Amino acid sequence: MNVHLYLPIMRIKDEQKIDAIHEKAVETIVKYGFDGLSMQKLAKAANVSPATIYIYFKDRDDLIQQVATKEAAKMVEASLKGFDATMPFAEGLTIQWKNRAKYWLKHPQQAKFLEQVRHSPVGEEVYSKVKKEFSLVMSEFVKGAVKRRELIKLPIEVYWAVAFAPFYQLVKFHDDGKSMSGQPFKWSDAYMNQTLKLVIKALTP
Amino acid sequence: MKHVLIFKTNVESEEQLQQAALLLDANGSILKWNIDREDIDRVLRIESTLANMYDIMKVMVDAGFLCEELTD
Repeated sequence: MNVHLYLPIMRIKDEQKIDAIHEKAVETIVKYGFDGLSMQKLAKAANVSPATIYIYFKDRDDLIQQVATKEAAKMVEASLKGFDATMPFAEGLTIQWKNRAKYWLKHPQQAKFLEQVRHSPVGEEVYSKVKKEFSLVMSEFVKGAVKRRELIKLPIEVYWAVAFAPFYQLVKFHDDGKSMSGQPFKWSDAYMNQTLKLVIKALTP
Repeated sequence: MKHVLIFKTNVESEEQLQQAALLLDANGSILKWNIDREDIDRVLRIESTLANMYDIMKVMVDAGFLCEELTD
């Protein structure tokens, strides 16, 4: 007779298994998209049984949501490290760029996964939860900077397109391994600092 | 103490789901349940106050469903 799977949650809660499930879910979704993830495939990839996955997750949607929520929280935490909404604008933006660069270079899979989540129906729910704190801090930062005349007053989309889009373009070149001309491209702090300097110059009154 | 019980079933159609829902909702020891019909094993996941899975299996099987424990 088989060993029955009716162990209490507390006893079988195995962090390592959960971590493996999370990691492989992220990997699979980045590689094959949301539809490419099945509980059976994931179980094989994470080297656990499907039953184990179902102990922690109700179904695929629940799993994606839980994984995305956890990853989004980690990303927000990484972005806000050492950051304070009352900082001078140039200093604050520099920390934002550095934090984001560190996150992207260290966790490219997770970062790509979150991009996918952002553009999916799951994203709305996940981000409405996690992003609240982040948006609040960011908007306080921008408002303060405008008030102190360290930042030009702009529609938020224009602000973002200047303040962060150049950063993400460099990340994209790095991720592709080449720039628009097809030339090989690798991330460097020198490129980042050069770009950031121009961004700060453009945004300063 | 909350227990999580995992079963393989053959609940596929909406009608079967409704039928299973009647049985599962009526069980006082079941706190929460769901059936993942997207999965090949149509996994029934139950959060229960009891660790005993046989009562649930019996109720399902008596109603004509396949219901086996999904082993680890």
